[in-house]
Amino acid sequence: MQPYLLSFLIFTPLVAALAAVFIPAGAVKSFRWLALLVSVLQVFVLLQLLVAYNPAGGLQQVEQQPWIVISLGAWGVFRAEYFVGVDGLSLPLVALSVFILLIATISSWQTTRQAKGYYILLLVLNAAIIGSFVALDFLLFYLFFEFMLLPMFFLIAIWGGPRREYASIKFFLYTLLGSVLILIVMIGLYISVHDPSSPGGLVHTFNLLHMADPSNIVSHAIFDPHNVWRLGRLDARQWAFLLLFFGFAIKLPMVPLHTWLPDAHVEAPTPMSVLLAALLLKIGGYGLARIALPIFPDAALYFSSFIGIMGVISIVYGSLNAMASKDLKRLIAYSSVAHMGFVLLGLAAVTPEGVSGAMYQMFSHGIISAMLFLVAGVVYDRTHDRTISHYSGLSSRMPAYTAMVLVSFFASMGLPGFSGFIAEILIFLGAFKSASTNGLLHESLAIIATSGLVFGAAYYLWTLQRMFFGPFDLKGGIQPEQITDLTLREYIQLAPLALAALAFGIWPQPVLSIIDPFAQQFCEHVLTVGKSVTFKL
Amino acid sequence: MESGLSETIALVRNSLHAFVPELILSLGILLVLLAGLLNRRRGRLSLMVFGVMLLSFVSLPYHAEPFAHTLFGGMVRSDNFSAYLRALIDIGGVLTLIMAWRDKRADERLSEYYSLLLSIILGAHLLVMSQNLLMTFLSLEIMSLCSYVLAGFSFTRQGAEGSLKYFLFGAVASAVMLYGLSLLYGFTGTLDFSSETFSAALQQQQTPLVFAAGLMVLAGFLYKLAAAPVHPWAPDVYEGAPMPVVAFFSVVPKLAAVGALLKFVLVLNAYGHSAFDWQGVLAVVAIITLTVGNFSALWQKNPKRLMAYSSIAQSGFLLVGVVAFLPQGMQFMLFYATVYVIMNFLVFIYLQSFENIGLETIASYQGLGRQRVWPMVFLLVGMVALTGLPPTAGFTGKLFIFSALWEAYALSGKPVLLWLLVMGLLNTVVSLFYYLRIPYFAFIKNGESTTSTNNLAFENLFGLLLVLLLLVLFFSPGLLMGWINKITFVIR
Repeated sequence: MQPYLLSFLIFTPLVAALAAVFIPAGAVKSFRWLALLVSVLQVFVLLQLLVAYNPAGGLQQVEQQPWIVISLGAWGVFRAEYFVGVDGLSLPLVALSVFILLIATISSWQTTRQAKGYYILLLVLNAAIIGSFVALDFLLFYLFFEFMLLPMFFLIAIWGGPRREYASIKFFLYTLLGSVLILIVMIGLYISVHDPSSPGGLVHTFNLLHMADPSNIVSHAIFDPHNVWRLGRLDARQWAFLLLFFGFAIKLPMVPLHTWLPDAHVEAPTPMSVLLAALLLKIGGYGLARIALPIFPDAALYFSSFIGIMGVISIVYGSLNAMASKDLKRLIAYSSVAHMGFVLLGLAAVTPEGVSGAMYQMFSHGIISAMLFLVAGVVYDRTHDRTISHYSGLSSRMPAYTAMVLVSFFASMGLPGFSGFIAEILIFLGAFKSASTNGLLHESLAIIATSGLVFGAAYYLWTLQRMFFGPFDLKGGIQPEQITDLTLREYIQLAPLALAALAFGIWPQPVLSIIDPFAQQFCEHVLTVGKSVTFKL
Repeated sequence: MESGLSETIALVRNSLHAFVPELILSLGILLVLLAGLLNRRRGRLSLMVFGVMLLSFVSLPYHAEPFAHTLFGGMVRSDNFSAYLRALIDIGGVLTLIMAWRDKRADERLSEYYSLLLSIILGAHLLVMSQNLLMTFLSLEIMSLCSYVLAGFSFTRQGAEGSLKYFLFGAVASAVMLYGLSLLYGFTGTLDFSSETFSAALQQQQTPLVFAAGLMVLAGFLYKLAAAPVHPWAPDVYEGAPMPVVAFFSVVPKLAAVGALLKFVLVLNAYGHSAFDWQGVLAVVAIITLTVGNFSALWQKNPKRLMAYSSIAQSGFLLVGVVAFLPQGMQFMLFYATVYVIMNFLVFIYLQSFENIGLETIASYQGLGRQRVWPMVFLLVGMVALTGLPPTAGFTGKLFIFSALWEAYALSGKPVLLWLLVMGLLNTVVSLFYYLRIPYFAFIKNGESTTSTNNLAFENLFGLLLVLLLLVLFFSPGLLMGWINKITFVIR
């Protein structure tokens, strides 16, 4: 067992960012080599992490240090920890993050304008993303969660497209609103929960694992299941769950809270679109699976139909919007909304298949959406125009590019043989089985959700037909000599993603074997604890 | 008070030992005025004032154990709550002095300027110590009268307007407060509001008139705190006054007022036995203050006015700590107040340096992020801290005060506290929008690209120090909470 692997992952980019502060701004090349070096180092650490990981071992690579411990007299002790670890939920996402961050760094290669600021922000973002996937202390998680916003805001706002100012502030305000909702619950939770392992005085802890165990809740606290407090028809735990749910659903994003996403994606520079879609959205799903559902399982069961329905609405509404989009990036952004709807549906089912599927969908969508945005970036780099109707018959001039587009589109529409198919089939299975095993979701939800596949095929095939096939033609003042095929650097970015989407579609077992124990344990926890709390222990 | 002259003298003499900081300040005021007549060299004068503030700061009673000395027959009391606030006030004074030293325009009437600053600090000291209605009013008036003059110290039209508005509003607020105080005196027969007689008399007569009198007195404190609905003076005064004075106003009188308010309202509330819901009243005031401050700030084009509304909103956050009516609420409020001093001065010190190079509107900050990278980055940290985002102590402070509020809500179950919690945190989102306006113009709006200059060396060193403090207090708030923890709050 290698100690401190996770800390190494988190702090390497931070140290590099600090070092970059002292490099003169003129040395543009040194910044990108530094960022690449960090990403490569992280890949090596990740490999060690994967080798050391034991799928049946639960939580691993744990590092636990007291961080803020303040004794407050009669009220008790305020205790937050530096507590990180990986399990079946976080390891695939950490692996995905390291991989995608490497690709995004390569894809940033041409950024020379204000390179110093760009790479410092990218490195900080890198640390915050990985940190939020491994943090097991609520305060620590919240720190990383919030710390992602500011770098992303500036990365979109300074290096983005024409409407970047509007899009970046919208992104920031929406996500901050979400995190404030989470903050309200976080404060209430740490006041309600005590640390069972420290004898004597009352220790208010931020430990997420302690929070998930209802026996650690101080009696008569606000989130005590016996609390009779009600606002409207809901009790305190149900309200708290809803706040957490909406907080993370903004990030996910779920219809109708998704409107920041298309704007942010369209205006963000390509590498940031990749990070947004592949990693930042996942933190929404991760937060639901790590925090909202396990801590308030009773409320999660109570609202499972609602979550499932919202998931299905996201699938259908996102798909329809994608179909109506005129801008290639906007189309991909809406397809992300639809795909994240599947995550909601899978989690709402609380069946091992559904939860595994949701986790696998996050992993697979990370790969596929990164590829989609890179693909959209290729054409944008050449012409600065993403309007679908301005292109026709590109396949004749860009055969390699067309091949990559085909792979990414087919993977995203859930064609068998690609990772998206495995995830979505698992989610359908799980959602369908839910009616007969735990009775949470109606069968019709799974059936309506399958329409997402049909819509997906429709908008992708239609786009293929419009942009890539037929006679070669360009509109909107694009010159034919601007249309050139992939460069080596673009191959380097796209090929690994295409291979990964294919490999994890044909042979999902390595990832599923990591996810599966977590999914089993997750469902058992939510169902048993949820039911016992519902009946007031 | 039928005591003989000799007894009175003995009383005064026995009180003097615990009154050293205030004596130093009083002597300092006179010395600075005299020195101004003889010698107008700014360096020497500034050094002298610095010395006075430093002496006052180090002579404060720092005891690890809780203590309380009632001085001058119940006029004022020195305890560790007031000592902490006084220390914070002195720090605010020193920071203001550093800013004023960089303000070349203040040369003309420097000794008056400094002596007025010192007088306000003295008034603030007395206010947080006072436990007598009359003393409270007098110390508040020391602060007010000097503030009116100081508000107009830029000697411009705008300054005069701000100063006059401040004076007119302030005079009314003082009159109302005095009337309230006189009513309370009539009801209780004593001026010592910490005494047993006072609270016993209040408890016996819970009439609406007592409620009205209490409200009137609160209005006086809230006026100094620039809390809604008695806040409208703040933007005009801030806009017209010199930048160091603005920074000073946004910190020192507020701290003094919130300290005195806390003591007073606990008595009014009769430790929970009052028939009137003072907690609810303050919670409503806090909600209005937060909302009005934040929403009005959204439309501002002038950095000073923006900060005026920001400081109104921040008063709301200070009130959140008071509203909890819990010991840890008081401690968390002190933590927040400390962080507030740091982050506010961090912002003002750069606003001043930018004003010195002629940037008067937010729009004129365009492109400054490239031109002056470090000042803008530090200013950004200050703004982020005021918004309350990690990893700055601004977040820790908000986390703390809202924790106290949650706890208070869990204990009392009053819906208004829940509303305050939700409104307060949602207001954070609103505040982000305007706090980011200056960084937004500086970094994102592209001005003409000029070569970067970083000739704000002094400000940068100073700013870096404050930035580091904000970060350190985020990562280990225990450093400060360790001290604050030892402060127990006893009213008598």
